[in-house]
Amino acid sequence: MTTQQWAATASDSARRGKWSARVAELNGELNALLSFDADARAPVAVSGDGPLFGVPFVVKDNIAVDGLPLTCGSRLLADLVSPYSATAVARLEQAGAWVAGKANLDEFGMGSSGQHSAFGPVRNPWDHRAVPGGSSSGSAAAVAAGMVPLALGSDTGGSVRQPASFCGVYGLKPTYGAVSRFGLVAYASSLDVVGIIADTPQLARAAFAAVRGADEWDQSSVTAAASQPAGMPSKVGVPRVALAGLDARVAEVLATAEHQLEESGCTVVDVELPALEHVAAAYYVIATAEASANLARYDGIRYGARVGDGGGPGEDAEKLVRATRSAGFGQEVKTRILTGTFVLRSGFQEQYYQRAQRVRTLVREEVERELRRCDLLLLPTYPVPPFTAGSTAGDGLDELQQKQADLFTGIANLTGHPALAFPVDSNGGRPIGMQLMGPAHSEEQLLAVVERLTERWPPPRPGSHIGEVA
Amino acid sequence: MSEVTHVGLEIHVQLLTESKVFCACRNSYGDEANSNVCPVCLGYPGILPALNEEAVTKAYQIASALGCTLSHSVGFERKNYFYPDLPKNYQISQYAAPLGSDGQFLYECDGQERRVRIREVHLEEDAGKMIHAGDLSLLDYNRAGTPLVEVVTQPDLRSGADAEQLLTAFRSLVRYIGVCDGNMEHGSLRADANISVSDTEDRLGAKVEVKNLNSFKFVRAAIGFEELRQAAELVAGREVVSETRLWNENRDVTKTMRVKETDSDYRYFGEPDLPPYPLAPAFFDEVAARAVELPLAKRRRLAAAHSLSDAQSAFVTAEPETARFFERCLTSGADGKAVANWLAADVQRLLRQRGETLGSSALSPERLVQLLSLVDRGEITGKIGKQVLQAILESDRDPAAIVEEDGLRPVTDAAALGQVLSEVLAEHPQVRAQLSGGDRKPVGFLIGKVMQRTAGQADPGAIRTLIEAEVAEEAGG
Repeated sequence: MTTQQWAATASDSARRGKWSARVAELNGELNALLSFDADARAPVAVSGDGPLFGVPFVVKDNIAVDGLPLTCGSRLLADLVSPYSATAVARLEQAGAWVAGKANLDEFGMGSSGQHSAFGPVRNPWDHRAVPGGSSSGSAAAVAAGMVPLALGSDTGGSVRQPASFCGVYGLKPTYGAVSRFGLVAYASSLDVVGIIADTPQLARAAFAAVRGADEWDQSSVTAAASQPAGMPSKVGVPRVALAGLDARVAEVLATAEHQLEESGCTVVDVELPALEHVAAAYYVIATAEASANLARYDGIRYGARVGDGGGPGEDAEKLVRATRSAGFGQEVKTRILTGTFVLRSGFQEQYYQRAQRVRTLVREEVERELRRCDLLLLPTYPVPPFTAGSTAGDGLDELQQKQADLFTGIANLTGHPALAFPVDSNGGRPIGMQLMGPAHSEEQLLAVVERLTERWPPPRPGSHIGEVA
Repeated sequence: MSEVTHVGLEIHVQLLTESKVFCACRNSYGDEANSNVCPVCLGYPGILPALNEEAVTKAYQIASALGCTLSHSVGFERKNYFYPDLPKNYQISQYAAPLGSDGQFLYECDGQERRVRIREVHLEEDAGKMIHAGDLSLLDYNRAGTPLVEVVTQPDLRSGADAEQLLTAFRSLVRYIGVCDGNMEHGSLRADANISVSDTEDRLGAKVEVKNLNSFKFVRAAIGFEELRQAAELVAGREVVSETRLWNENRDVTKTMRVKETDSDYRYFGEPDLPPYPLAPAFFDEVAARAVELPLAKRRRLAAAHSLSDAQSAFVTAEPETARFFERCLTSGADGKAVANWLAADVQRLLRQRGETLGSSALSPERLVQLLSLVDRGEITGKIGKQVLQAILESDRDPAAIVEEDGLRPVTDAAALGQVLSEVLAEHPQVRAQLSGGDRKPVGFLIGKVMQRTAGQADPGAIRTLIEAEVAEEAGG
């Protein structure tokens, strides 16, 4: 559906009702959305101001929308209503888009399977037995299923790109600082970015244009001149050596993408990224260290669920905080907080945190070196196709394997470069996507290349899709 | 065995800024609980800190006044610890690179110049307040996010009295710079003391930190208590335990709060939400432009230039308001010594009686200079001058107008004064007899009596002349 068609549906209560009913039906299968309201924020007119006028979008539930819940997929924040809106949300609204609901996610953005939400797992619209990826699981599933054309997600180590790939849609992780993080609930502040999931590269581009730029409430945000897409890049690099352990189907799809790029006039060259093998370890040390501080505020004192009444006679605040956090956080979140606390202990920082920071510098230098040799880098998004949910047998991955698999996405978070995941092959119902990574602030270039590929090789749709009903 | 005491202070200075250090909330003491709060200073999910540049400037003003090496960019760390008054359960502070380091502070202690080395000056956010009321614990987050500068001294102090004098001088310093109101009662200026007693001069003993010192007097008392307590431990052959203790102001003792070995590990790491903020040369120009003459320098200069006594120079320069007033009097051409005399004595006494300050009273430098000049020119007597001063404060009028309107000009008219003198002499025949006998002792008595009858308006010189004339007449006649 085009932007105009969405505006027509959004502004007509009868069509909205039909659409809403289909969304509810699909959500019953997928559990992608934690809330949906087709009416409250819908436009009243069929046309209006802004390049995104009338476009409904859903917001990952770790991004604040004034007056809507901000659960972060956690029991601890199940009843929290946000008193303010994230800058990215406000900017999309200024561009004419409107919030239709909040999307399910792995708790606090921690996970790459969509199975770590206190409000139940999200299912992949292509294959309900497969995971949708994570942590922006609901955002990717909702867009893939056609419930909405656009969603905001967050990407700390691949959380936008990996579920976008698993669900066969487009996922943009912008340059660190290009989009304000104000209103994005912090997981790992130096890695977190607000990302965009869309059903077309064109819509992703319009949404990115709306949200980008410095914000006085985020001092790590910057305004960069929009890059001018210069047609197809001449040289695209592929880090061949690091791809040894790649699943055969993913390797095949990578070859397809290379072929498509060559067909479109690019030269594909081999590049060296030896530091890639340390990415996952460095990523998890830094991410968990920052998370241990970022999640410390959830103590049940000022907001959120409180367990016990530590203020009562004979109790104390420490007891209250301990009880609240023990009951409120899920297992994966606890594991990461403990890991982060461990790596930051005084006397051990050199061994873990400082070392991870040095790896980060090394990776950045390598990526910058290779991006001087070629225009863009092509990487798989994930080393395996969408795996089966709830099992470590067969093609299932255990938690450690899932973390080790974050290397191809984690690299762009460590270096801050932009990366765009795009669908290449539906792989018999378990889609495989690739990603293009480019120099800082080259989002327009990435989107232009993918737009060209999409025109020639349009991606198919999943079985669970809203269709043209809306 | 003789024990050596080393004391270092951690002084916390709340900055006077319109808004808090990382959000737009009002920075104001005494407002209704939890009225100056927002998602940022309550640590809501998704918020980010936005650095208040005015707070940075004021923090640098302090570091600069203390002669510190100034950092060319300002970066922050997170100091992690759980406490209910700390909304994010980490404090944004400076650790790796404080904005000021290696400075010094000069002050006077018992008339001697003292120098304390400043280890560092850093900027951080204050926490909220937890109030215990019976079984309840209440939290007020108005103070959370107030810009706080921490000044850490080296262990150069030797006693509680030393620390008290340093803090008094430091309070004066921050008030001069105008970055803090120095109100200990409201907690805008606070200090923790690190005390270590050792049995040799060449090394420090175990460090004991004392918190909860809400006045300079408590600082002195707590250090005194610790000196004795730690010395007693050493004398008894025991080791002093390195720990944090709390001052109990009701019992005048310190009590163990937590032992250092089990102290929390703050797990400092760089604050990713505030990338190191480079400061342009223009910023340092602004800090330099705001520099003012510091209290001790001013005191020395004024004392030398106007031959002020120690007490006078101390009084005139203790408060920036008094110093400004004094210096404005000087620019109007007044005599410094006379101004200091009046300020330290009558002005201070009357203001205190009236519960006013120089700034809030009707006395301006111009009015005081005018008053002094009336006295100096003999247009009114010193005694009437004091009445005029009171009248200025009471009725907010100029001294000349008061003299005119209240009829306070001295009576110099010989006929009128002669009449009064005759009456006095008539009532005191023995005095007349003494004078006739050449005894000059009663002259003062007579002048006093005449002054009394004329309500202080008589010119003492004129009365003396009349008395002399009277005596000469009798001797001649």
